[in-house]
Amino acid sequence: MAPDRVSQKAVHLHWRTARKWVQVLFFGVFILLFIGARRGSWAPWIINLPMRLDPLTMLANTLASRSWLSSSLLALLTLLLTIILGRVWCGWICPLGSLLDLFNFHSGKKRVINPAEGWRLVKYSLLVAVLTAAIFANLSLLVFDPITLLWRSLSASLWPALDTAVSAVEKTLFAIPFLQDPITAFDGGIRPLVFPQTPALYRDGALYALVFFGILGLNVFTPRFWCRYLCPLGAFLGLISKVSIFHRQVNESCKSCGVCAANCPTATIDPNRQFASDPGECIVCMDCIDDCPRQSNTFVAGFGMARWNTYDPSRRQVIGLIGATVVGVALAQSPVDPNHPQPHLIQPPGARENGLLEKCIRCGECSRACPTNAIQPATGEAGLVGLWTPVLITRLGYCDYSCNACGQVCPVQAIPPLSLADKRTEILGVAVIDQNRCIAWAQHKPCIVCEEMCPVPEKAITLEKPPSSDGSPIPDRLRVPRVLTDQCIGCGICEYRCPVGGEAAIRIYSVKWHGSLEAKELLDTPETT
Amino acid sequence: MNHLTRRQLLRLVSVGVGALSIEQLLAACGETATPTSLPQPLASTPTQLSATGTLPANTDNTPIEAPTPTEAMKALMTPTASSKNTLAAPAGKSGAKYMVVARGGEPEVLARQAFAALGGMEAFVKKGADVIIKPNICTAYHTYEYATTTNPWLVAALVKMALEAGARRVRVMDSPFGGEPKEAYAISGIADLVAKAGGTMEVMSNLKFKKTDIPKGKAMTSWAIYEDILKADVLINVPIAKVHSLAGLTLGMKNLMGVILYREDIHMNLGQMLADLASRINPTVTVVDAVRILVDHGPTGGSLNDVKKLDTLIVSKDIVAADTYAASLFGKKPDDLDTITAAAAMGLGSSDLSSLNIEEINVGA
Repeated sequence: MAPDRVSQKAVHLHWRTARKWVQVLFFGVFILLFIGARRGSWAPWIINLPMRLDPLTMLANTLASRSWLSSSLLALLTLLLTIILGRVWCGWICPLGSLLDLFNFHSGKKRVINPAEGWRLVKYSLLVAVLTAAIFANLSLLVFDPITLLWRSLSASLWPALDTAVSAVEKTLFAIPFLQDPITAFDGGIRPLVFPQTPALYRDGALYALVFFGILGLNVFTPRFWCRYLCPLGAFLGLISKVSIFHRQVNESCKSCGVCAANCPTATIDPNRQFASDPGECIVCMDCIDDCPRQSNTFVAGFGMARWNTYDPSRRQVIGLIGATVVGVALAQSPVDPNHPQPHLIQPPGARENGLLEKCIRCGECSRACPTNAIQPATGEAGLVGLWTPVLITRLGYCDYSCNACGQVCPVQAIPPLSLADKRTEILGVAVIDQNRCIAWAQHKPCIVCEEMCPVPEKAITLEKPPSSDGSPIPDRLRVPRVLTDQCIGCGICEYRCPVGGEAAIRIYSVKWHGSLEAKELLDTPETT
Repeated sequence: MNHLTRRQLLRLVSVGVGALSIEQLLAACGETATPTSLPQPLASTPTQLSATGTLPANTDNTPIEAPTPTEAMKALMTPTASSKNTLAAPAGKSGAKYMVVARGGEPEVLARQAFAALGGMEAFVKKGADVIIKPNICTAYHTYEYATTTNPWLVAALVKMALEAGARRVRVMDSPFGGEPKEAYAISGIADLVAKAGGTMEVMSNLKFKKTDIPKGKAMTSWAIYEDILKADVLINVPIAKVHSLAGLTLGMKNLMGVILYREDIHMNLGQMLADLASRINPTVTVVDAVRILVDHGPTGGSLNDVKKLDTLIVSKDIVAADTYAASLFGKKPDDLDTITAAAAMGLGSSDLSSLNIEEINVGA
């Protein structure tokens, strides 16, 4: 801190400074966990902490999956914290909140454009919609959860972008002879700590960036626009904060100077109500305590329910919202069911039998863990219901025969934690050869890359002499590939490595699954790590 | 709102970067401080390896630092004392042999005796040389008993021998096509034993694949080849002998596929293209690992039924001759393999074994 500021407020405990360091700490931990979430790094339970501490995703998952995960009990910690201290999660812990504080466009005397107070209702509406939809086994709206949103934006968009940028800089500097050694050392030493061994390629990275920067951009209107008006987790914790034990109170020494109201990041301090605030909106940043010239702002303990404001949802609104959500859920039904599988909906190992759509919280941890970046957020493959749930894009990556990381890191077991031996026999789909595009079939040139790559011990692709259909001469040694459908596990390395340009000549298609007891038993006895 | 100043932000960023480098430092310290006795693939990862995941205490392969050094040293001092010529060397050629085939012993003993017969590792590695060893670590799927990756004890022995000969540094590298390099290095058991032998495992960096002219090339005139492979003073090519549906077998020349980019794209004329590559890369010496060979479902393997244990090593400067001999282990003639035919036609080596000075050593005898 600059010395002049210290001398000005030497008597004060600097809440603001303390809070900033706590925010930096939690944000740093979040980023570290994100970095460590690559396969082969840290234990899953550590990586999962952010998701499991998030009560909204855990509650929605419990409602939608109709099953109880003991690990989701961790979210009770957050709830407990909120009951005692209010929305400290938002003000001190939430990494997205901290980012929004960092991207504050109102540092000077820039005008804040406060929307009407009624806009605060939006976040409560979103919360009602998330939970109602969850009861109807639809978790699509969890795309608005701040923790999963941030993780997904990082993994599918921001981190790959950073990776690309670093690679470009490396490549540029590598051309300078005397820099080659340091760049090589960086590339082999530091870079692998932060970025994947093979550069990640994600579809639609810009889409996630757009959502992410859109949320940051809303800060142009007011500080923490997202937290005030939109965040469903904030709404959840806000409702609980209505009964929080510690809450803000203004004492008699107040001379109505209005500093607190002017500086409040959520603008919940109301000059028209003797500078009282709504605990549901207060993120306990403590700025008002730091800024108050008379120490009139205090936090006191006490029981009771805070008043219900005009922007808080009324009973009628809640009922209306529930109705609207039910209609919405029904409309969003897409034909993703085992008997009508979408041809290119290849889900992570074991996820399909496990009912992924009813469990997945869209956090993108599997996608982050996947060493080949085969797992990507679904855009169209799983319909609206499955927006941004994991799907394997086997032209961009393949299911590594030596890896079972996705099931291990999934915080809600939407992808079952299969042992490597079980994962190796898990059927994701089936490979189909397009004989019109295949080099060996169509051009009668030798190419057996798919067979070479097939990791199944007995090979799910055989090579045979081609039938001479059109009388054209066939080279003696030419062999053409054929898929042994009952052996194929659909890992997709054949499609990934197929040398045909553009769409591969061998593709993975989804297969029907009618449910089997065997698969269920498998899920009931998850292997421990 | 009072918020983070630019200076504070920069300070935090530098703290973060510092922390990362410290983490790396600590990790590096940990690695050398706690060596394990056997290769331990993926001990700390979320991946659980089942049946194939841990290296069983093997009965037929002694850990490299265990019982053989004295015997091996003895063998070094008197190259032919314990060896027996089963194929008489052509008269008049008493110097270093053209090719040595060693059988019936631990990988390290085989390697030491074979190299001793070729004039010692010193004949290949001069003092201060920069050495690269290129084993076959094609996937991260299976451990060494499945014969999909080169025998780790053999690779480690070569590292030790190169260092004993005075190499400045010995690096070991490959670019797996299935799974990530680090996992593949670990699962193969090579990472652990190489580290103990004093070598370094290098993950090939995308930066160093350079478009390289192949002057003698017939099917390919240039390709992206790993720069260091070309720059190294000594390149020891250590393929494991396996079947491969297109190349017929994957041996010395096929092993070179691991040092180029876009490997999928050379399959349409594989034999000639591999020969072209060999003409440019030109390994100093090729050591064909036939300790275990994969006789079916190669190159990825995965079934022990497809593995045959031969305890054999083929060492030669001539990659074509080494491949030809290795092919005979599978009952194949040089004409059966496009790569060998193409390479012989280019004059890269000899595929006519009967004209060569080959010493066969039986270590076990």
